[in-house]
Amino acid sequence: MSSSRTETGVVDVVMPQLGVSVVEGTVVEWRKAVGDRVETDEIVVEVSTDKIDTEIPAPAAGVVSELLVGAGETVAVGMPLARIEAGDALTDDGVPAEGQPPASGGDDAGAEATGNGAGRRLSPVVQRIAADHAIDLSEVEGTGRDGRIRKQDVLAHVETAQAPLHTESPFRPESVPKPESAPVGGTLSRMRRTIGEHMKRSLETAATCTTWIEVDMSRVERERAALGLTALPLVARATIDALREHPQLNAWLEDERHTVHDDVHLGIAVSLDEDGLIVPVVRDAHDLSPEGLGRRIRDLARRARAGELTADEVRGATFTLTNPGQYGALMATPVISQPQVAILDIEAIIKRPVVVAGPDGEDAIAIRPMCVLGLSWDHRALDGVLAARFLSAVRRRLEGGPS
Amino acid sequence: MSVTASVPVDHRRDEPPEHLTRADRVGLLRHMLLMRAVEERAMTLYRQGKVPGSFYDGHGQEAVSVGPAWAMAAADRLCVLHRDLGAHLVRGVQPATILAQYMGRAAGVTRGRDGNVHFGDHRTGCVGMVSMLPDMMLVATGLAMAFKLRGQQRCALTWFGDGSSSRGDFHEALNWAGVQRLPVVFVLENNQWAYSTPTRLQFAVDPVERAAVYGFPGVVVDGNDVEAMFEAMRIARRRAVAGEGPTLIEAMTMRMHGHAAHDDQRYVPADQLAAWRERDPIDRQAARVAALGVDVDTLRAEVTAQVDEAAREALASPMPDPADATDGVFATEEVAMGDGAAPWSGWSR
Amino acid sequence: MSTLTYLQAISDGLRTEMRDDDRVFVMGQDVGAFGGAFKVTDGFLDEFGADRVMDTPLAESGIVGTAVGAAVAGLRPVCEMQFADFVACGFDQLVNVAGKMHYRQGLSVNITVRLPSGGGFSGGPFHSQNPEAWFMHAPGLKVVAPSTPEDAKGLLTTAIRDPNPVVFCEHKNLYRRVKGEVPAGEHATPFTARVAREGDDLVVIAYGAMVHTALEATEDLDGARVMVLDLRSLVPLDEEAILAAVHRCSKVVVVDEANQTCAAGAQVAALIAQRAFEDLDGPVVRVATPDVPIPFSPPLEQAVLPDVERVREACRELLAY
Repeated sequence: MSSSRTETGVVDVVMPQLGVSVVEGTVVEWRKAVGDRVETDEIVVEVSTDKIDTEIPAPAAGVVSELLVGAGETVAVGMPLARIEAGDALTDDGVPAEGQPPASGGDDAGAEATGNGAGRRLSPVVQRIAADHAIDLSEVEGTGRDGRIRKQDVLAHVETAQAPLHTESPFRPESVPKPESAPVGGTLSRMRRTIGEHMKRSLETAATCTTWIEVDMSRVERERAALGLTALPLVARATIDALREHPQLNAWLEDERHTVHDDVHLGIAVSLDEDGLIVPVVRDAHDLSPEGLGRRIRDLARRARAGELTADEVRGATFTLTNPGQYGALMATPVISQPQVAILDIEAIIKRPVVVAGPDGEDAIAIRPMCVLGLSWDHRALDGVLAARFLSAVRRRLEGGPS
Repeated sequence: MSVTASVPVDHRRDEPPEHLTRADRVGLLRHMLLMRAVEERAMTLYRQGKVPGSFYDGHGQEAVSVGPAWAMAAADRLCVLHRDLGAHLVRGVQPATILAQYMGRAAGVTRGRDGNVHFGDHRTGCVGMVSMLPDMMLVATGLAMAFKLRGQQRCALTWFGDGSSSRGDFHEALNWAGVQRLPVVFVLENNQWAYSTPTRLQFAVDPVERAAVYGFPGVVVDGNDVEAMFEAMRIARRRAVAGEGPTLIEAMTMRMHGHAAHDDQRYVPADQLAAWRERDPIDRQAARVAALGVDVDTLRAEVTAQVDEAAREALASPMPDPADATDGVFATEEVAMGDGAAPWSGWSR
Repeated sequence: MSTLTYLQAISDGLRTEMRDDDRVFVMGQDVGAFGGAFKVTDGFLDEFGADRVMDTPLAESGIVGTAVGAAVAGLRPVCEMQFADFVACGFDQLVNVAGKMHYRQGLSVNITVRLPSGGGFSGGPFHSQNPEAWFMHAPGLKVVAPSTPEDAKGLLTTAIRDPNPVVFCEHKNLYRRVKGEVPAGEHATPFTARVAREGDDLVVIAYGAMVHTALEATEDLDGARVMVLDLRSLVPLDEEAILAAVHRCSKVVVVDEANQTCAAGAQVAALIAQRAFEDLDGPVVRVATPDVPIPFSPPLEQAVLPDVERVREACRELLAY
């Protein structure tokens, strides 16, 4: 069998064009009759034109079901001459059709010996971390015995996965249009317009400046791996501590009224994908450990996406954190959420070569996971020096100051 | 049996005892009556299914506990065993509390944590027993050791049986007390039987002989004569607080009931029981007291009424709360023992 | 602060308490004139007198039993068993009289029973035991086992002050081998666990001499960061510290110098299996002495007691799992 076509249903045998100027042909002799079995390419009929007499092969295998044109009759090129009921379902000669799916069977057991997960022997902590971070374990490579997925394997995946639990910046340097976006010439959604108005008003009201600092995240990476968290809760904790040291950044400026707060109610920007952006608040964030912050942030993000947040949960932030996640973006200029006086953006953690002190005190190159923190701040309430000091305090805590 | 005694014990039945007033002698009888009444009542309750576990009594041995307890000072300490209920009564534990204790009620001395006579109300200066009976001999020795280290005029008293004298702790205690000359008195209740084991299978030598071997006197006393028991204890205590060391008092008595309520003691010869019944300690003291002109029947009636009332009170008291079952394994603070009642007239003279 | 051996720290703790509280006294065989079989009470007789440093008859049951009596009379006896192994002769008094007293009678029994425990020096079957499991199993007894001089003093002080019977397991192979900084004067340590070394890849849980074995075995283990948790207190067991360590590390090796079956490590492993199941990234591994009397000849003894190599191998294998 040369043909690999598998057709079923009715197939026409048509009058071919047997020359450029040929417009019609005449049936000379039928080689098959109705009810005859015909294989693909087998001769069905002989036709004649001005130019030539030709044998016409069947376009498909099957059974001839109709002969439409009698011998001696003339038809135009392209017209059906006969019909074939194609496919072998009607035959009883047992010839298997090609292309059928191979028999499925219980050979999964044999496939278990190698590959991911060594028979899916997943330890309790691996399952727990995977569930907490919505990780598909079939994507995780195991480095344990017999390819078993170990705790560090799934934690490493947490860091690189594009998990929906990451929060996003309200400002995208590049928007990615989806095919099903609003039709050309449409309007923005209500939420999108509200966000836009807030952003515009903020930029018009505040004297917005942005200062950046680079942070070596080696210690954060180690600690978050041990605790089973993303970097965000650790950055949050360091931010809170730095705010305690520089409370001028934990303040509100409403027209002339300037209020510096003791308590830290931390706003965390959460992306709602196409629907926009919302900033739920971790109240009394200063009381929480990194693990506690991680739990609270996850819970707020989940409920934000499910539309379950109450009005109180999106009010009253004294400072905001925004973290777009691991898209590789280097830095951003976030917009301050009124009436706060500052906002801190955390971009991607990217391994880069950096200069460190070598073993003998000389300069040396090392590879470190680096991250740029961007602080937008209101020049009406504070100066660049304070902004820089604050960022330095955050860095100090992330790189290895007292936690 | 031979008697080894450095202090003569000599009582003639018709001579009034030098150190007991009339009130004392009545008191001794009253407490023996109370012990018997409480135990008989408890046995009835046991047969009525109100006493869980097993039930032990000291029927016929009342003098062995009441007599020596009468001689103890308030600050003395007692290690009381299961046939010595009289001692608890002398020290001031109430009959209602004892019956509640047998019935496993929350108002019992151990609040349901231990059963029958496995109790010691530490507020009355008594330490509760363990089932490994002669263990308490060492505890009493330790109490006496503390008294001596502190230079205090106090005495420790412990009871144990003929069976106990075969165990190592008996020997360790006697040896220790003898070596350190401690103010402890060991009262061996020889009631002839350790469950079904007669004394001839228990020791080759009368245990009273052993005292000398450990360096102190042993005396044999008629265990069914409460006044003799008192006197022996009074003398031993005086020795002890004078720094002269321990005494072993072997009280000869008879276990009139089975080892426990579940034992009918068919292995005890009927004539042995009959002979000892003639020497019932309560009958003997009642005769003495009646001879002084005391109305013993009224006394009996008072005791009966007291126990009836106690039984009513105990029966009405609640069982312990299961939620408390795991409480109190560890102490959160130190608990001090208290002093017991010391009704002997000798303390006020 | 001063640098003391483990043994000196025990003496120091005992002496300090005896100076501070005249209810405390020592009792045991050869503790007075001889200064103790291991010299823990060397010099005590001269300072405190025979009443408070009592040379007792050879009678373990007697020592524990009379200690109970003295304790309920208001004193604070510290009993010394010459070797932990001999406490078996006083087992009844300790378990049935001392242990059960408060629960039954509401009477506190403040005794401390010091057990020179452990092997590793050809002591043979009757001078090498770690019998703490017997007493962990008896309700009403507390059990502690220090591994450092500082903790030896601190735990002993707390034990003496605790109104309950406390079994103090002092490891005789650490007496002179281990030195450390010990606070001078009054120093009491609570009955809790201690993190001997921080880490997060794996935790080794141990107590007594095995803490030192564990530290040595995991000091330089292929770059892994191994935590070592020193239990210090077996009853009460610091469940919170154990569970926190497992939560952090997810891989656990439990080491016992005691015989394997029903040793303290078995209780720790059961606790982890029940309450930290979701934190585990591998089976809970135990390294323990097999169920044999401790043999006398060095090759035999070394073959049975857990050593640095055995602990290291167990950790290595579990790390790779």
